[in-house]
Amino acid sequence: MLLNYFKIAFRNLLKSKGFSVINITGLSIGMASAILIILWINHEVQYDQFHEKKDRIYEAWNRSTFSNKLQSWNTTPKILAKAMQQDLPEVEKTARVNWQDNYLLTVGEKSVAIDGNVVDSTFLDVFSFPLSKGNVATALQDPHSMVITEKLARNLFGDENPMGKIVKLNNSENFTVTGVAKDLPDNSRFKFEFLIPWAYQRTIGNDDENWGNNSTRTYVLLKQNASFDAAQQKMKGMRKKYDPSEPEGEMFLYPISRWRLYSSFENGVESGGLIEFVRIFCSIAFFILLIACINFMNLSTARSEKRAKEVGIRKVVGAQKGNLIAQFLGESVLIALIAGLLSLMIVQLSLPAFNNLTRKHLIVDYSSMSFWLAFLSFVILTGVIAGSYPAFYLSSFRPTSVLKGTFRKIRALVTPRKVLVVVQFSFAIILIMSTIVVRKQLKHAQDRQTGYEKDNLGYHFLTGDLEKNYLLVKQELLASGIASSVSKTSAPLTEGWSDSWGFEWAGKAPGDKTDFDRFCVDESLAKTAGLQLVKGRDFDLQQFPTDSLAILLNESAAKAMGFKDPIGQLIRDNGKEWHVVGVFRDFILHSPFYPTRPMVVEGAKGWFNVIHMKLNGNNGMAANLKNMEQIFKKYNPAYPFDFKFVDEEYANKFEDEKRIATLSGLFAALTIFISCLGLFGLATYMTSTRVKEIGVRKVLGASVGSITSLLSKDFIKLVAVSFVIAAPIAWYAMSKWLDDYPYRTALEWWLFAIAGLLALMIALVTVSFQAIKAAIANPVHSLRSE
Amino acid sequence: MIKITGLEKIYRTEEVETVALNKLSFEVKEGEFVAVMGPSGCGKSTLLNILGLLDDPDAGSFLFNGIEVAKFNERKRADLRKHNIGFVFQSFNLIDELTVFENVELPLIYTGVKTSERKKIVENVLDKMQIMHRRNHYPQQLSGGQQQRVAVARAVVNNPKLILADEPTGNLDSSNGNEVMQLLTDLNEQGTTIIMVTHSEHDARYSHRVIRMLDGQTVMENIMA
Repeated sequence: MLLNYFKIAFRNLLKSKGFSVINITGLSIGMASAILIILWINHEVQYDQFHEKKDRIYEAWNRSTFSNKLQSWNTTPKILAKAMQQDLPEVEKTARVNWQDNYLLTVGEKSVAIDGNVVDSTFLDVFSFPLSKGNVATALQDPHSMVITEKLARNLFGDENPMGKIVKLNNSENFTVTGVAKDLPDNSRFKFEFLIPWAYQRTIGNDDENWGNNSTRTYVLLKQNASFDAAQQKMKGMRKKYDPSEPEGEMFLYPISRWRLYSSFENGVESGGLIEFVRIFCSIAFFILLIACINFMNLSTARSEKRAKEVGIRKVVGAQKGNLIAQFLGESVLIALIAGLLSLMIVQLSLPAFNNLTRKHLIVDYSSMSFWLAFLSFVILTGVIAGSYPAFYLSSFRPTSVLKGTFRKIRALVTPRKVLVVVQFSFAIILIMSTIVVRKQLKHAQDRQTGYEKDNLGYHFLTGDLEKNYLLVKQELLASGIASSVSKTSAPLTEGWSDSWGFEWAGKAPGDKTDFDRFCVDESLAKTAGLQLVKGRDFDLQQFPTDSLAILLNESAAKAMGFKDPIGQLIRDNGKEWHVVGVFRDFILHSPFYPTRPMVVEGAKGWFNVIHMKLNGNNGMAANLKNMEQIFKKYNPAYPFDFKFVDEEYANKFEDEKRIATLSGLFAALTIFISCLGLFGLATYMTSTRVKEIGVRKVLGASVGSITSLLSKDFIKLVAVSFVIAAPIAWYAMSKWLDDYPYRTALEWWLFAIAGLLALMIALVTVSFQAIKAAIANPVHSLRSE
Repeated sequence: MIKITGLEKIYRTEEVETVALNKLSFEVKEGEFVAVMGPSGCGKSTLLNILGLLDDPDAGSFLFNGIEVAKFNERKRADLRKHNIGFVFQSFNLIDELTVFENVELPLIYTGVKTSERKKIVENVLDKMQIMHRRNHYPQQLSGGQQQRVAVARAVVNNPKLILADEPTGNLDSSNGNEVMQLLTDLNEQGTTIIMVTHSEHDARYSHRVIRMLDGQTVMENIMA
């Protein structure tokens, strides 16, 4: 029986090639989109889920009130781990992880700058990063031991066995390779290429017991069967117990399995996070697939006349309704299978581009049994969704009417089909509207004044000997005419690395916990960055040697501190007294989507990580870079030259929004394409059933225009209805989305009108192609038939 | 074999009510060959649909082999139909996408006959109908007479007790028509009961008995010599 069904299905596919092509194309595009999205979702959901003890691993978090908001963050004092081991009997092990940093590793002549972590020796025991060489328990015991990934081992040692080999760290101390870890999965919060032990930190005196220094992450493995609630209860009071400066602060344990998807905190509690994107993408995948399925439903039922006779005959010779439903479902599953295999090809071809877009390394594991099982269930699900309505519709035909030839479908679009077309176009219009709004918001933020001159401005981190040789480098850059101004700073201009509510000034209200961004520069920041000074002057150590303790405020800071005349005011910070010499107009330090915050710039007595250079634009960029590299190599030979342009770094701030814009544009285009494919099929069928009517109308004097509009107007009405449904949904969704951006564009009615018109035009072009073709046909031919 | 009493069928649309069968009664015995005649719209086709269990009457009794089937649901009707009744139509009603062999095979599939056995039965029937050489052709590749022979083959492949023929020669020329009528006669002689709707007096002569209908009622019965 099954064979018989498939035979018929195949022959039907071949017989109506046009419809088959439309059905299979639409379904395979829809399925490919869904598969790509599912790959992405799967990747996100599996994030850090590979740790065998994941259900017992927690991260220590803090919450406290700043700027009148309850904030949550996950950096902790180094001493916390020890305190937890003492106070929490539920704890089996703790593992601290310092900020990932970029280090210079040298083996013989070869040097590479690469990311690594300083971790407790328990790290490899708590987390599951299996070693292909070495022993998890002992690999990080010795202060000068080092675990490297297989990738790094190949990079440093080629095919040689790396175990026991010496690696020089940051051009100073030697470490011995004691373990080789399998390369890290892509979906982990840890991105290290090597690990060095905490014991090493201790030898260099970087293991303070200061509760005010929140600079490390503390992970904890609870004992099997230990009560999480009991541990959490004790954890809460840790801050109060040990840190008298923070009596209101609380600590809590947060499961690592929730970190990736849920760890967006608002007022001290979870408030979504990536999971919202996962949900949105889930529904997009579902809808794109549904839209492709709707094509199938619409075309199958529209063409039901062709199948009606078969249904009648089968019933007459003994088929039950169930037999027929099974047959039609089998048919749609077969089509879904063909489309599914095609979609795998599409996925394979588009995966590199999709990875590029999502910045992932997603792969399809064709060798895995579970993949094929999932694929098969996906195909069957798609086939059943697509085939369900047609199967019930077709199998309910009564043989008495279809076999007598009295069976004639009404030529107008019947109601369920109308509903389905409206669903398709509503979704398409929502996506078009969203794309337009996202793009407008992006443009809005990109057009915002940065507050500094990005042109020819660049920076380099003070790696290796650069800090020591800074003055020489600066002199040479200026003397050679490469740069017109050079400043060293605490952080890149595009990133804020420090903030504090601990500043003291005359007239500060008691209990004022306003948070200020803190930045340091040796001199001439205004000149290098092109800041606009509104009061006072730039730092100038030549003329005013006391500027090493001078301070600049941005306008917001001057306002927040309540200075009538800020120049000459004294501000205490870090045990030093700084005097205000100037006020500059706010510039965007963090996100271009947020208002600027109060900011304080301290002078040469601060601390420094970065050298900023305003390059001489007359030299040509290639020459500048070449000459600069020579100078940097001369004073810092061990480290690679890695110059960054501020405008490029600034542009990175828009990456997320750009990606959203690209993705929503892509999905909108796909949805519209699939919907129009279906519309084209429907229009083709509808006009073919009205050939005679069109002929008669033409003979009676109807014009091409009037016939075209007659055939198109039903479809156009449906698109109009879709617009009415889609507009409020899109409006609501996009105003919710924009709510996340304090600096945002306005939602205007004409954005929505454009989307509606666009959809209408696309639909019109699709439908009228068939309509015009029918309208210009010579009526003699159509009337002669039958 | 068949006994109908007071059978009624009324078609209703929004405005019109058409009485197709009006308290119709008659009986057909096993092994009979009965022709039903009458002008268009007299209710012949409605009658045939009800006899074929494709449609249900609004009132009256329908005994099939002594069992009351007038109130059977669709499932039960389909079940009874596929084991007991074969159909032959004016317009052949073969499935265009299936070959001759596959069309004839269809009823066996729905009654659950095994593949190997199906092949034997179908080949046997095709042989009898002299269309074995066309077994892999599609209906459009056959002449009308050949198509109707395939349809008859399909109707008898299940060995039904009753064959319902709806103007079986209506779309055929006279020589092909005669061939088909001869086939039906042969089947009848082997014991199959046949009820045939026809407009043709010539065809009616092949039957034992003619029931003449008008406005949903029998008006006359003639026994053919």
